Amino acid sequence: MKTNITVKIGGEAGQGIQTIGTLLAEVCHSAGLFTFSIDDFESRIRGGHSFNLLRISNEKVIAPGHIPDILVAIDQRTMNLNKASLLSDSLVILNAENKSDSTPDIDDNSCSEADLEGCGSSNILKISLNRLAKEAGGLITANTVAAGCIFAVLGTPFEMLKELLVKKFKAKGDKIIDLNLTAAQKGYEAAGTVRYHKKFDWKPTKTDTIVISGAKAAGLGALASDCRFFPFYPMSPATGVIASVVPYSGKLPIVVEQAEDEIAAVNMAIGASFAGVRSMTSTSGGGFCLMTEGLGIAAMTETPLVIVNSQRPGPATGLPTRTAQPDLLFVINASQDDFPRFVLAPGNPAETFESVKKAFYLSEKYQVPSIIMLDQFLATSQVTQQNFFKVDKDVERFIINQDNSSKVSSLNGDNLKSSDSSSQTPETYKRYAITDSGISPRALPCMGNIMVRATGNEHNEKGEISEDATNKVKMTNKRNSKLAAMKQEMDLPEVFCPKGTDNQLFLTGWGSSKGPIIEACEILKSKGVNIGYIIFKDIYPMDGNALKKVLENKKLIMVEQNSNCQMGKLITQETGISYYSSILKIDGRPFYPQYIVEKALEIIG
Amino acid sequence: MVEPKDYDNDFENKWCPGCGNFLIQKAMKQTFAELNIPPEKILFVSGIGQAGKTPHFMKGNMFHCLHGRALAVATGAKIANHDLNIVVNSGDGDCYGEGGNHFLAAIRRNIDITLLVHNNQVYGLTKGQASPTSALGMVTKLQKHGVTSSPFNPLATALGSGAEFVARGFSGEPEQLKELIKQAMNYRGFALVDILQPCVSFNKINTHQWYKDRVYDIQSIGHDSSDLAKAIVLSLEWGDKIPTGLFYKKESIPFHSRVGVLQDRTLISYPFDGEKTAAAF
Repeated sequence: MKTNITVKIGGEAGQGIQTIGTLLAEVCHSAGLFTFSIDDFESRIRGGHSFNLLRISNEKVIAPGHIPDILVAIDQRTMNLNKASLLSDSLVILNAENKSDSTPDIDDNSCSEADLEGCGSSNILKISLNRLAKEAGGLITANTVAAGCIFAVLGTPFEMLKELLVKKFKAKGDKIIDLNLTAAQKGYEAAGTVRYHKKFDWKPTKTDTIVISGAKAAGLGALASDCRFFPFYPMSPATGVIASVVPYSGKLPIVVEQAEDEIAAVNMAIGASFAGVRSMTSTSGGGFCLMTEGLGIAAMTETPLVIVNSQRPGPATGLPTRTAQPDLLFVINASQDDFPRFVLAPGNPAETFESVKKAFYLSEKYQVPSIIMLDQFLATSQVTQQNFFKVDKDVERFIINQDNSSKVSSLNGDNLKSSDSSSQTPETYKRYAITDSGISPRALPCMGNIMVRATGNEHNEKGEISEDATNKVKMTNKRNSKLAAMKQEMDLPEVFCPKGTDNQLFLTGWGSSKGPIIEACEILKSKGVNIGYIIFKDIYPMDGNALKKVLENKKLIMVEQNSNCQMGKLITQETGISYYSSILKIDGRPFYPQYIVEKALEIIG
Repeated sequence: MVEPKDYDNDFENKWCPGCGNFLIQKAMKQTFAELNIPPEKILFVSGIGQAGKTPHFMKGNMFHCLHGRALAVATGAKIANHDLNIVVNSGDGDCYGEGGNHFLAAIRRNIDITLLVHNNQVYGLTKGQASPTSALGMVTKLQKHGVTSSPFNPLATALGSGAEFVARGFSGEPEQLKELIKQAMNYRGFALVDILQPCVSFNKINTHQWYKDRVYDIQSIGHDSSDLAKAIVLSLEWGDKIPTGLFYKKESIPFHSRVGVLQDRTLISYPFDGEKTAAAF
């Protein structure tokens, strides 16, 4: 039987909310349980209100929880913000200092009796985190005290927590281990006999799962694609992608370089790619604005380029630490004039890993930019996934092997199908040769006798500036002629059509809302409403004709995190099909399945 | 042996007759010949402007990129393969205006490339607007009442930002220019050669003769190029007399020697090992 428990831990930034959440997820993982954890925080380092929302289940979870079964209120504001929404069987762990116990050096931020008014639940366990932490040996252990208490009410054997803490603090020495074990014990004991009524079967379990974020999956996907250069400029919520590869810099041949701005980051990636090293940069919408001119030069010079756009609400600075899907039409159209590009939008960390691999493969095969669409929700949520790291022994490169220098040894093979590279000589080589596929032979600079000449100006086949009218038409057509084959590389959307009904309604979304949409369909089914779903992962270029066949006779309810229903518009543009209705969420917070269910029921009537 | 003419190509040159760029390009070709670097072993990266077109009019590998971005592209290419001989051709507008941030960053990274800035104190390609190095008060078609900003001082900025190879040449002194480019090419680290040149079409003030009357070679008066303080003083001199030559040179640690993974071999030369990558996960 499926058991789900959602734990919400709230407090100020700087109180270690995320640390408690991570500890919880790790212990759950060691018990073979599945978790979906989101961090909600403000754009500040201290103070304010932030929370970790951890959904724990004994079966696979694809969406975040929402209403907390267990609320851990580290500060007063958490209690105030959540008390009305609590269920009658919710359990509250309340950080309630006994004022007289407090010593002046303890920053008291606890609840009073008056603050409990209007609380949806009467199951309130009051503990004094700071006092217990102090007793354990230091205020710094307040997080561990809280974790101990949470595990107690979840019914987790203390041994399991102990084992993890020992492992976690091993590098810091026995003193720190003992300190944290004492703190955990204090918290555990403070729960007394209070237990939450839903239970898991807690025992150490070996699993083939990992807990991973979309950001980390993107970074690992790049490493699996032989990406070696990561120029970046810090920006929430995109920095995590780059941060995830930093730990590998001693083990794998990679260079991570903080650029002076996003313009430099994208141009550095292009320069390295031109020289033959796969490169990726990661940014959010505002940074992508700056990278847009780089997108154009990559397209014009037909230099492979992979960019991750981890979206957040805008325009301008918008909501830096929140989530949204507002950049779809932007990235598809970004830059002056028009050129082919790939846009991929994975739905979870496992798909992110594969999408990044695909982005590198396609970008190099077609010599066009590839853009991967993440968002704050996907990039930062920690999700239990089946271990999906499939790293190929070799990566396919589409480069002429000039074969007269040891330096090209890392470029395995010549897989260029559009032209016969053996016929390439320095005299006849044309970087932008017109071919049936539109793909021209790509050589690397200074790797042999061939001279590689690229320019952002319109150019002829040899890469010389050309203002000739006929040439302009020929070269534009050459670049655009890749589109037909590019469309065939795109997977059509995943369609779920409920059996036994002639229901034509489909919740339709893309990217990170995949999990919440699918779960919303399941909930609706349990309410007797049969509704299908359509999820786009490979977005652009779109094969309008093939897509039209998929979408014909279906009523689409677009589920998107933007205000102008961008995927809906794109579908109409590419297929002529109009969507039926839409559920648009623009508050910067993720989709919860329950929200989609409520809105869908309103639409269905 | 490589000859200067090995760099000749048959692409139609599009500079104005008498442009200083011809002399700069000639000095480049002579330098590469003297250093015995064949065109297939050199990568030119350039931005936008008349200077940015330089690689089009000669043989070699070329990435002619966007306005101001040559140093960023060159940085990426050099990190990918630090065996590359990279020469950046930029102009005063391209490098000191649009690309100012990349100029500062390239100095700080000490990326091992040669930067040639064709500095004619005016925008040539867009027909004569003021550039970052135009004199205060200089009248142009668009700055009708004179330029209202003070000129940017590239040498003082570079020296103040920690650049360790800073030189100034003049297109009208080709022998000196060639030697400066040669030293820049041989230097391990970021090498700036700011090159004064006339714009025969749009700069009627800073003409060939104007420069000719003012420039003097600091080496001929015994400047010690290891003396940073003296170099900074010289970099501030501008007016009746304009110093040229090697202002400052100091042995330095280039970017690729600061990054562990690049110390033994180039980034591109590492083999990909899927099993090793998987094991690292």
